[in-house]
Amino acid sequence: MRANNHPAMRRYTKRIIPITFAYIATIALATAMVPDNAPASALTIGLALLPGIAALGWLWAMGRLLIELDDEYLRMLEVRKFLVATGATLAITSVWGVLELYSPEVPKLAVFFVFPIWCIGLALGQLVNRFAFGDRGTC
Amino acid sequence: MKNRLKVLRAERDWTQGDLADALAISRQSINAIETGKYDPSLPLAFRIADLFELPIEAIFLRD
Repeated sequence: MRANNHPAMRRYTKRIIPITFAYIATIALATAMVPDNAPASALTIGLALLPGIAALGWLWAMGRLLIELDDEYLRMLEVRKFLVATGATLAITSVWGVLELYSPEVPKLAVFFVFPIWCIGLALGQLVNRFAFGDRGTC
Repeated sequence: MKNRLKVLRAERDWTQGDLADALAISRQSINAIETGKYDPSLPLAFRIADLFELPIEAIFLRD
């Protein structure tokens, strides 16, 4: 059985694709419907929360992958990826945060970018797996 | 940790895929264990030992 043919991986792919489309669609909807500097209202807050729900869906799908992946080696590769991504995110955001504190000219990093940075960190984790084990992992 | 998995597999004329199927794990896992990149958990080591009908210490060796 190849890693990408593992049933848990196939289920993960089936889950992540609609969640990704929902995330992109709700971001586009919120961007189109909420003008810049619009006052907060139930509608603007509701629209802004929709992509957040999709992001929670991503986290749920990733959690399910770890639970359902019964191959301990493949699960270890995934966990390593998550750890590398978490470490990279903490490194970038904490260093940037200190820069923001003491260098007012440094642009503010919106909290929105934490999750995309973590996802980029997953790609870095794949590279680490590739060099350490010759295996990228499943996704 | 060193192991004799590749030798034992070859003695039985099994491919990595055959062994992976018998243990219900991925071929990558077998490859990682054989090449010493990954040490299996104790439960998986017992399953491997049961499959080869050998004690664990006859398959996995101290460095």
